[in-house]
Amino acid sequence: MTVAGAVFLFAWSGIYNVAASSGHWAVVDWFLAFGMRNSVALRARAIAVPPLDDIERVRLGAGHFHSGCAFCHGTPDTGVGPIARQMLPSPPELSKSVRTWSDAQLFWIVQNGIKYTGMPGWAALERTDEIWAVVAFLKKLPTLDGESYRALALGRVRLAEQSGERMATNDSNLQAAGACARCHGAGSSGPTSALVPVLHGQSRAYMVAALRAYAQGTRRSGIMQPLAADLDKESIERLATYYAGLSPTEPAHGSPSGADAHGRILATKGDPKRDIPACDTCHGRDRLPRYPRLAGQSAAFLAGQLRLWAAGHHTSTPGAALMAPIARRMSEADIDAVAAYFSGLSRLPAGGAP
Amino acid sequence: MRTHSRQAIGPLMAFVVAGCSGPQSVLHPAGPEALGLAHLTWFLFGFGALVLAFVLAAAAIAVRGPERWRAVVASRCMIIGAGVFFPAVSLTGLLGYGLWLTRASIPDTEGREPLQIEVTGEQWWWRVQYAPSTRSPVASANEIRVPAGRPIRFTLQSADVIHSFWVPNLAGKLDMIPGRATSLLVRAERTGVFRGQCAEYCGKAHALMALTVVVMTPTDFASWLENESRPAMEPDKPESRRGRSLFLEAGCGGCHTVRGTPAAGTIGPDLTHLGSRHSVGIASAAMNERNIARFMTDGQHMKPGNHMPTFRIFAAVELQAIATYLAGLR
Repeated sequence: MTVAGAVFLFAWSGIYNVAASSGHWAVVDWFLAFGMRNSVALRARAIAVPPLDDIERVRLGAGHFHSGCAFCHGTPDTGVGPIARQMLPSPPELSKSVRTWSDAQLFWIVQNGIKYTGMPGWAALERTDEIWAVVAFLKKLPTLDGESYRALALGRVRLAEQSGERMATNDSNLQAAGACARCHGAGSSGPTSALVPVLHGQSRAYMVAALRAYAQGTRRSGIMQPLAADLDKESIERLATYYAGLSPTEPAHGSPSGADAHGRILATKGDPKRDIPACDTCHGRDRLPRYPRLAGQSAAFLAGQLRLWAAGHHTSTPGAALMAPIARRMSEADIDAVAAYFSGLSRLPAGGAP
Repeated sequence: MRTHSRQAIGPLMAFVVAGCSGPQSVLHPAGPEALGLAHLTWFLFGFGALVLAFVLAAAAIAVRGPERWRAVVASRCMIIGAGVFFPAVSLTGLLGYGLWLTRASIPDTEGREPLQIEVTGEQWWWRVQYAPSTRSPVASANEIRVPAGRPIRFTLQSADVIHSFWVPNLAGKLDMIPGRATSLLVRAERTGVFRGQCAEYCGKAHALMALTVVVMTPTDFASWLENESRPAMEPDKPESRRGRSLFLEAGCGGCHTVRGTPAAGTIGPDLTHLGSRHSVGIASAAMNERNIARFMTDGQHMKPGNHMPTFRIFAAVELQAIATYLAGLR
């Protein structure tokens, strides 16, 4: 009782200095870090780690790191910036500190964030596939120099050198420039990772609806939501028009193989006995432009989306309300076969494209 | 208090008696099959009532009766006669009567070729297929139309779990068992609209797995069947035409058939003549455009658990166009 009263008086008096600039005493610093490490270690114990040396995951993670993490944690080029360094605690330079955490611990931190530090949790907690992509990249980060970092994080985007006037007057910050293209590609180059969908020649109406759903958080993604939330209605439409107008590049990932014979049957005929309709009845030729085109998407991306629905995730958009019940009726083998089948198809426009 | 309860008895009796007639009642038979069962039911009720009256009387005597009567009730003869012999004989007799009454479906088809109808129970609806006596197959869902007077042979199957086909006004229950076909021969003798119900628990929406049976005059039935065997009619209004193209472009044909269009799915009900049916949404609501639209966008509230995905992808005018098209398929 006396202790509680003393603590209350201490807070009431305002004696305690909350200035970030004043820092902590060394012993407090040590104590807080000690508590944090133990807490993370305890909670990360039961997390099973998937294979992380997959370059597709690393590339997707790199694309997100550049827009979501680099502002505070810096890049191999820039290090932690002067503003972020004034936070208390200041964000660690990950290329050095990543090695002090296990894979599962990194996953837990990226997913949940850390109280009192400014480290936020993931915007879509259930998208563990995205979080593991970030962890896969973080594992790679200590080995990267500026050039290899840029190759991973910026994809094939080459920012044109800007005139002094443009730099002086352009409102958009350089970080956002090329945010889409870093992962999805632009012009004649396609996505950097097989986990990223091809937008070239995709239906405009579908992309508009998808970006709006990301922005509102009804389609769940810790990678897409922060980016889409920054876009107003007109920007969304301009971006969708741009990508819809690009000519589809030929598949870079996957190729037709024997595995897709079952996939072809599912795609063209479905499996009525198990209440699975043919994919082509909605995704084939001359269908509503609000349905996405699947031909030429990577198998990894398609299978990933089907598994999210099958697991009951991101089911609140109108499109997901259609797909989730169907995905739940599909077996693992069905999902792989149908994904392989569509990844082997030519990306030529399906006819109904606007 | 006494007048009060007497006043209450009138409406109560009316309610009880009203429960005996209606579109889903064993006590209001519409054919010989159901008539036999109704006889059996009434006989059981009557006999049971007599036994109950006798037991109550014996109990009253045992408690309050004069000494001499009590001795009769307590006698060895009474205990063995009424307690052992009577139940054994009467229950055996009842069993024989019941077996005799239900010895077969209608004993013979009176030399007439029965109308063949295949009914498949699926979670949670009824797939109805008429034998292809006509040029093209006639398929329906959750509604069966039959002619009065002619024997009808239902072939009952299941696509998933055990269901039970029960139209109380026409016949007793018969299970639909996965992997085998059961057969039910019935005859309806008066025209009318009856209601059937799945009578074996089959999952989430079991309680809402109903069907409508419409008994028509033979001439009405013949013209109905003739119309059903035709492909879907061409939409005449621009809105219906817009509805048809939306129906096809939105992929509805992946699960539904509309004969005469590319829609040839077999997962869900055949919609070729949807507009001529009594109900919509797997027999959960009256047939009208509003309920068609509602089932597409909010089917999980009308019939929780049904297998049709929810279509919230349409603008209001588009939804209306599709509903107009479907309701127009007569």
